[in-house]
Amino acid sequence: MERLILKYQSRIFNVIIKMCGNPDDAAELTQETFVKVIESIDKFKGRSSFYTWLFRIAVNLTLNYLQRHARISTRSLDAEEPEADGTAESLLRDLLSDDRVVDPAMVAQSRELCDLAMESLLKLEEPQRAVIALRDIEGMNYNDIADVLNIEVGTVRSRLSRARSNLREILESMVNEGESKHR
Amino acid sequence: MKVNPNIDELLNSFLDGELPPRQHVEVQRLVARDPQVGRRLRQLQSCKTLISALPRAEAPGEMLEQIKLSLERRALLEEPSVSSRSIAGRWQLIARRFVAAAAMIALLGVLGVVVYQILAPVSGTGVNGPVAKNASSEPLTDDRQGGPIPVAVAEFSGRLEIRTASFLSTSAFISRAVEENGLSRSVESEVTGNSRIFRVASTREGVNRLLAGLSEIWQTFDMATLRVDRPGQYTDAVAVEAVTPEQAIKVVAQGSAQTAVETARNYAQMNAMRRDMPAGEILAMIHDDASDARDLTNIDEIVRSAGFKPKTLPAPQGKIDTTLTIILLRTR
Repeated sequence: MERLILKYQSRIFNVIIKMCGNPDDAAELTQETFVKVIESIDKFKGRSSFYTWLFRIAVNLTLNYLQRHARISTRSLDAEEPEADGTAESLLRDLLSDDRVVDPAMVAQSRELCDLAMESLLKLEEPQRAVIALRDIEGMNYNDIADVLNIEVGTVRSRLSRARSNLREILESMVNEGESKHR
Repeated sequence: MKVNPNIDELLNSFLDGELPPRQHVEVQRLVARDPQVGRRLRQLQSCKTLISALPRAEAPGEMLEQIKLSLERRALLEEPSVSSRSIAGRWQLIARRFVAAAAMIALLGVLGVVVYQILAPVSGTGVNGPVAKNASSEPLTDDRQGGPIPVAVAEFSGRLEIRTASFLSTSAFISRAVEENGLSRSVESEVTGNSRIFRVASTREGVNRLLAGLSEIWQTFDMATLRVDRPGQYTDAVAVEAVTPEQAIKVVAQGSAQTAVETARNYAQMNAMRRDMPAGEILAMIHDDASDARDLTNIDEIVRSAGFKPKTLPAPQGKIDTTLTIILLRTR
């Protein structure tokens, strides 16, 4: 079990932090996930894979937590974010231009851009955030996502589509706000 | 461009590689033919890439330790958690008070019966009357010489049933382990047909030394079942089938009979799950990583106590609060 925890802890943590935005909360929720897995392992009947069962527990705990708190904690982002000088917005505008294909390496290198992307993700509704985190962060296929969220594959398809569309709108509005602020 | 939800769904599924080959080709053609659809595809792709490219966050280094601590804490806690208490409503509180009052009345009734049995006149010679047993509260040690083993108030009481085809060698091994661990005076043994019984009354450390010694041959057992008695009674509370030496040691090492029962119950559930699940499913559920299956079955490692060194040790000192009856059964 130790090896299972070591194998999955960062993947679970990575999905949870993208959903809740706070490293302390994410660590606590990850810990709670594994404790719950161990305590309720007798309830695991093998109808789904262990992988999706594990993520189901993690995502459900996180969604419940977010509902209870009805807020998104972005303390770490706020605390460490440097004064925005408009560079990130400008970069984001370039990336969002219709003729470009985003270079992942470029995104990863820009701290400000990552913060903007994270901020936009946290502005999505929680169910949409969950589906984006499972698909684009964890890289799950639609069947596994449906299993984790206990919904139909068709619902995954439509929810993911709406989520990406909304994400696009949020990013565009962030670019516009940033430009008007620095004008 | 006006967003068409149906086209968007199709494009997103295309981006995620979730379309059947035929539809995939159709979308490729559509994108090539219609510049607006191509533009929308790039928009969606940029969103997907932006999120996918976010740096991967690593779990804190102390995560495993925190999980272990949390598990141990929960195992020891008998009371419901603060959060569950906080949600307990008014009716629950009233119900609890009612149950407490009923329990108090029942307790008074039992006390009354006990007092009556002690004080009531005894008819005849007194042979059949109540006999007050001398349950000494003084701590007992292994210094006594001979005679039946007295046990004050056993805080752990249970039975370990071992079924094995290697009956004689296992029996000899247990006898030797008893001697090597300084438990000769703490064990009574009797042979009945195809079984041999070792009654061990010692300290927790003494009993755990013996169990640790048995771990060397544990794998040769066809089946080992630990039955943990309910506190204050000699009836089965929990039977841990296919118990491992580490689990048995952990159960005995608990600070109270109640936590021993709780721990045993957890292990019983865990082992039942292992038994009910075919090995193939275990492998499948952890994504083709066969080595992980071993880890899943080694859940007890998380709460495993430090190792014991059972070779030729002096008799354990301290209060005799642990009784374990080892029942060795021949399987064929």
